[in-house]
Amino acid sequence: MSMTAHGSAVETDATPDERRWRRRCLWALLLLVPLALAEQSYESVVTLLNNSDRLARDVAWGQAAEFGGSEWRLANLRAASGVPGLPPNAVPVLADFTVRVGDADLQGHWKVCMVMLIDAAGRRWLPSGAVSLKQPDDVQRCNSAMFSGAKNGDTLKISETFLVPKDATATIRPAVSLAGERPRYLRFQRPQG
Amino acid sequence: MMRRLANIGLLLAAAVLCYGLQTTRPHYADLIAPIPVYGNLKDDVALRTFTVRADAVTFACTLAIEQFGRRRLLTTGGVWAIVTVALSAKDSTTTIAAATWKGPGGLLYDTTERLSLAPGMPPVTVQPGLPGKGRLVFEIRPDEASEATLLVSEARYFALDSQAHIALGPIAVRPDGLPEGTVETFDLSKDL
Repeated sequence: MSMTAHGSAVETDATPDERRWRRRCLWALLLLVPLALAEQSYESVVTLLNNSDRLARDVAWGQAAEFGGSEWRLANLRAASGVPGLPPNAVPVLADFTVRVGDADLQGHWKVCMVMLIDAAGRRWLPSGAVSLKQPDDVQRCNSAMFSGAKNGDTLKISETFLVPKDATATIRPAVSLAGERPRYLRFQRPQG
Repeated sequence: MMRRLANIGLLLAAAVLCYGLQTTRPHYADLIAPIPVYGNLKDDVALRTFTVRADAVTFACTLAIEQFGRRRLLTTGGVWAIVTVALSAKDSTTTIAAATWKGPGGLLYDTTERLSLAPGMPPVTVQPGLPGKGRLVFEIRPDEASEATLLVSEARYFALDSQAHIALGPIAVRPDGLPEGTVETFDLSKDL
């Protein structure tokens, strides 16, 4: 009863102009509420999408690709044998790259530098600390190369060691991801011949 | 007059509605809380990024560990609970860094920080296709040993991700108050 009284009181007090505007405002909410939600979540959604390696750029064997201000080339992908203390079906795999520095600001361009192996099923392996193989002195890891003080035009040798199961060794491909280049990442073809 | 009363009525109704929503709807922290995946001892519990199985629980009065060539003994006013877990990553390299012992009284014990460098202590990194083992060590009150739940997740603080809740089952109590089967010394240096 009181609601009806309230409703009629409002109806009689308001001018037709006020009533029209009230209706318009209510209709506008249908548009404004979703718009406000979209605006509020836009940045989070963009951050979420750009925070993952989604768009692969394939690089053919022997070719170099410009990435993070430098030219990346896969030099080798090889399995190491005779490493003691590993699970029976685990194979240590080394991915070697030669990188020609195009922009010496490596700390800016190579933030969260991540080398990984991806197999045909989409499984991803990150470098493993469980195996440490002796490497020549001029070979660095991606994250240590960032602080190497390399200049424009220098060529860096970068190598990462992985531990993968035997069944994956036939299809694994090395990939490189940098925070500044995400969601794009480089996916290299396996060495041919 | 009628209109003022109607407005007051509307305001009260809104207040009641808001109060009702506040008391009956879940809190924001609960909405984004860990998503539990339940299991028992020796069950494979599959989470979003990894699978965990609690294989065995051992209780001990003292822990022995070899550190920097010296043997150290760690005593406790309670009891040490050592859980051996099998871990496997789903489709990418995963680091499992957080485990909690939830006692029947609701007390929560994080893995001990009194030791490090022992084999299998978290954080444990597992590679896809290469299952690994971990050893979770808790320092608990003896009366929190029976009917406990083991909580395992990738990180200690996270939102909208799964967490294993593994029921460890009943454990009998000895006359001295310690759990049945408590060993005098557990050697953490031995391999998993």
